[in-house]
Amino acid sequence: MNGRVVIAIALLALAAALVFAARPHDVTADERIDQITTELRCPVCQGLSVKDSTSETARQMRDLVAQRVREGKSNADIEAEFRAAYGDWIFLSPPVASWSGLVWLVPIAALGAGLVLVTGRLRSTDTPQAAGPSASEVAALRERVAREEAAEG
Amino acid sequence: MSAGDLGAAALRAALFLSLWGTGAAIYAAWRRDARVLASARVAAGIAFGLVVVAALSMMFALATHDFSILYVAENNARETPTFYSIISLWAALEGSILLWTAILAGATAFIAFRGTLAIPRLATTALAVMFAMLTFFLLLITTPAADPFARLAVAPDNGNGPNALLQNHPLMALHPPLLYLGYVLTSVPFAYAIASLILGEGGDRWLVATRRFALVSWALLGVGIIAGAWWSYAVLGWGGYWAWDPVENAAIMPWLTSTAYLHSVMVEEKRSLLRTWNLALVVATFALTILGTFLTRSGVVNSVHSFSLSAIGPLLLGYLVAILVLSVGLLLWRSARLRDAGPIGAPLSREAIFLFQNVLFMAATLTVLLGTLYPLVAEAISGAQLSIGGPYFDRVEIPLALALLFLMGIGPQLPWHGASRATLERQFTAPIVAAAAGAIAALVTGTTALAAVLTYALGAFVVATVVQEFTRGVRARRTLHGEGGIAAFSNLLRRSGRRYGGYVVHVGIVLVALAVATSQARTVDAEQTLAPGEALVVAGYTVRLDTIRPVSEPQRDSIVADLVVTGNGASEHLRPALVQYPNSAAAVGSPGIGAGLRDDLYTILAAYDQRTFSWATIRMRVIPGVSWLWLGGAVVGIGALIAALPAPRRRTVRMPVAEVAVSAK
Repeated sequence: MNGRVVIAIALLALAAALVFAARPHDVTADERIDQITTELRCPVCQGLSVKDSTSETARQMRDLVAQRVREGKSNADIEAEFRAAYGDWIFLSPPVASWSGLVWLVPIAALGAGLVLVTGRLRSTDTPQAAGPSASEVAALRERVAREEAAEG
Repeated sequence: MSAGDLGAAALRAALFLSLWGTGAAIYAAWRRDARVLASARVAAGIAFGLVVVAALSMMFALATHDFSILYVAENNARETPTFYSIISLWAALEGSILLWTAILAGATAFIAFRGTLAIPRLATTALAVMFAMLTFFLLLITTPAADPFARLAVAPDNGNGPNALLQNHPLMALHPPLLYLGYVLTSVPFAYAIASLILGEGGDRWLVATRRFALVSWALLGVGIIAGAWWSYAVLGWGGYWAWDPVENAAIMPWLTSTAYLHSVMVEEKRSLLRTWNLALVVATFALTILGTFLTRSGVVNSVHSFSLSAIGPLLLGYLVAILVLSVGLLLWRSARLRDAGPIGAPLSREAIFLFQNVLFMAATLTVLLGTLYPLVAEAISGAQLSIGGPYFDRVEIPLALALLFLMGIGPQLPWHGASRATLERQFTAPIVAAAAGAIAALVTGTTALAAVLTYALGAFVVATVVQEFTRGVRARRTLHGEGGIAAFSNLLRRSGRRYGGYVVHVGIVLVALAVATSQARTVDAEQTLAPGEALVVAGYTVRLDTIRPVSEPQRDSIVADLVVTGNGASEHLRPALVQYPNSAAAVGSPGIGAGLRDDLYTILAAYDQRTFSWATIRMRVIPGVSWLWLGGAVVGIGALIAALPAPRRRTVRMPVAEVAVSAK
């Protein structure tokens, strides 16, 4: 089989697998409880989430979230309830639309700036290289590379 | 004379020698004076010996429970087992700084005796920088700021004992010294970089001289971080290994910049580009180790690992500022001489991939730094309290990590300067097929979260490139040298250790990534209150509570739950406990862990009936694949070792006599 055909089939299979993994699917009540409690800070611990903590406080908060989920409240409703009680501090991932939006903005901006900077220093592929080597030079170089690779191992 | 007196005297003598050494090394570098250099060399050797004597005295004082020393009284008790007594050298601030100083003194002595032989002037200047840093740390531990041998007027009958978390697991013997070694050894490349800037010697000699140090310190940091994750998993009892805690963040930041450096340095070696950038990375790595120490030892951030507070904060901050001012000043002063010539390469060349990799590592480091510091700054400025924890870091770092995995697969497959289409096809057909197979394997084995499926695909991609490289290398040696398969393989590792050891490291990193992805995506837990004889069922495992019983040991009292876990072919007796140490207010949870290559069974005793032991609340976490994390750490260490060991051929330079004798046969 042609190499390109193999690559094309493999890429298709990969894409299909990823699309399958990313497909929207129904979230169970337990998954919702996990989603919400992962984001909540255990107020009596050092940086642990309500989901992970074994403290009594965290257990009560897990029970409360489970109860709200059973009552049919949406994730946003439940989060709003905790925000009202504790403030933004209760969320381990700070909200984007606030003072703390900077912690989201700065890494993305830095990444973008870095990529622009690096791309600017690369040689563009269109610019022809100053006079390419002749066929005999290429052959000589090939031989030398083979020799050096053999010596290097 | 007691051990305490001996240690204190040794440190003071070492301080005197270190001051002498600083001056002597500066003079020797300036005047190229061999006799003064010889005296600096002797000073370094003796100072190292003295600091080791001080560290051993402290271990002896701890093991013999000499409570007239404040540090011993605060961190040791008569009941502390000898093993934990000895390793209490690094259980608190003063002892940790003593250990730190001992390692720094060792590195200084190494440069004095070995480094100055290879490139005298550069190494002598670097030696002066090392001596200056050693002097700072010796000043810290010979003044009240962090004096490990400070005395108590009246020795108490018994001490407080070590922090409960620090005497609960033997990994405490391994993880802090590994990290400290990694931290301190970053000062060697830093010293050479500063020396190179001071002397204005362009060229890459500093980099060749410190290549091995950079690699070894990177590997020790990496293995130390994994060992720390393991300790945290086995001791902290919440069923995880990484919490983006400030101390963990402090350790991972220099590791990230150091990883960037180990790769971009190859661009400088091959192409003489990125000189300023590499110097900046070395400075950043070193500064981040000091920043981490400052953050975690000064009490400005709360952390599960910050076991000690002291007045040392402002001094460390001053040290950090001095280092930054000096380094940035030197870099600006010399930047004109360090300018690169010409563009870097085509977008699909190895050097371009290294650059993109550097950008991603910088973004990752900046994110950790920002996430760690921002709550502090925000509170100081506006009084607003906010939390930045796991979910934030996961959201930013996981995409960066996946992109890095991708680059790890393509970078080593691309030639320098640029690649043709034929090369691309030759290099990437098999890895792309492997990536598709990896994604499908993830779905088939029940790992269905998108990030995890991507990790499996990219992991398979990287492993396929490594297998391809090894296959081609072995095949080349077989045809060229007529070696057998195994001989060709081992010669590949021995003779081209840097390249093939690097590939082994990549495989280790893939194992770590797979372990993290699998355990994050598929951990299942359940919690239930059980009476003896009752059981809870989770993910096909049955956990039966047999008994709850108190256990008394001299240094602690525990409540132990005896569990029997069966199912999925496993049958394990696990004993999670709640441990009460006399010096700690709350009981410490000690998980019962059944480790396996497939699943780890992680059990926690969350609560129990304190009067009649008639019930216990048991939490069980089934954590798949977490064992591969420790395994991956070991593979990274082995790969780094292969890369750091000198190739047999290179040894001719150092040991001409022995080598000639061998080759004459």
